[in-house]
Amino acid sequence: MKQWLKLALLAVAGCSLVWPVWRIARALPPFGEPTGNYGPEVNRLGPPLRHISNMVSAVNFDFRGIDTLGEEFMLLAAVTGTVLLLRGIRGEDTSAAPDIIAGRALAGRAESTTVICRLLGPLTVLFGLYMAAHATVTPGGGFQGGVVIASGFLLLYLGEDYSAWRELIRSHIVAALEGGGALLFALAGFLPLAEGHAYMENTLPLGDFKDVFSGGLMLVENVGVAFAVAAGFTMLFLEFMEETRSLEGDGDK
Amino acid sequence: MNILLALLFLLAAGAGTGVVLTRDPRRQIFAIAANGLVLTVLFFALQAPDVALSELAVGTAATPLLFLVTLAAVRRNRARQ
Repeated sequence: MKQWLKLALLAVAGCSLVWPVWRIARALPPFGEPTGNYGPEVNRLGPPLRHISNMVSAVNFDFRGIDTLGEEFMLLAAVTGTVLLLRGIRGEDTSAAPDIIAGRALAGRAESTTVICRLLGPLTVLFGLYMAAHATVTPGGGFQGGVVIASGFLLLYLGEDYSAWRELIRSHIVAALEGGGALLFALAGFLPLAEGHAYMENTLPLGDFKDVFSGGLMLVENVGVAFAVAAGFTMLFLEFMEETRSLEGDGDK
Repeated sequence: MNILLALLFLLAAGAGTGVVLTRDPRRQIFAIAANGLVLTVLFFALQAPDVALSELAVGTAATPLLFLVTLAAVRRNRARQ
């Protein structure tokens, strides 16, 4: 296509958009104004009904808990698919060394990096656990805590090296945590069924407002999500990093 | 809308444009991470701390790492051929 024709097409498209965009922009509600009743209602009903102060968790794990269960299994399916695609015939051998591209200079780690990562890595994991455990009280929850835990493990990789990280992260343990977390979430829903209530109905004791052990069933589901997400992301990191390992002597394993 | 939010929106637009205009893949990954950081601050300023935490961990740590490792694997495979 000729250059002038492209520009003409762009001009026509741009001009025809001006009027509709202007109309829509004029009809939008003012910035920051709540448009629905759902948010304010959840804020009003959450504390008396569920004894928790983080309404995002109330929506995710209670009012719309079944949606989160679906998302949990989407994550499980996505991680499983990635592992299937990437692992291939590689197996679970942990002894392989990282590959080195010929001719590229290899700078070692600074000692300060190792020290900082050894300090910050465990602290980050601890913070992730804290965040996941306080899902019903403060912002954050199973997903956020889980991802923070996984990034804490990454700091250990940054501070040590590939081989040490590979020794530390065992894929069968990570896989068991990933599946076990999702299973815990799904099974937590059956608990009320045994007592004659609906699936995932919050029948456990709700605890005190602003206490860690508040929210009843939400806390159990949250622990499941935290395990599944932390293990799922660690699994992804592991399988991706395995792609960079040396292929020497890999033939018939 | 206050001045802080206006600045953050401009910053987000700038960071997003930066990702598009960066042509070298390795630099682009860091541009993505920077964009994630800007979005984190924006979400936080918009009083969505839960989303901000997710964006911080996924957008500035997990996604860039996966891209970096993929790039390393691609380069390794090219070097072998």
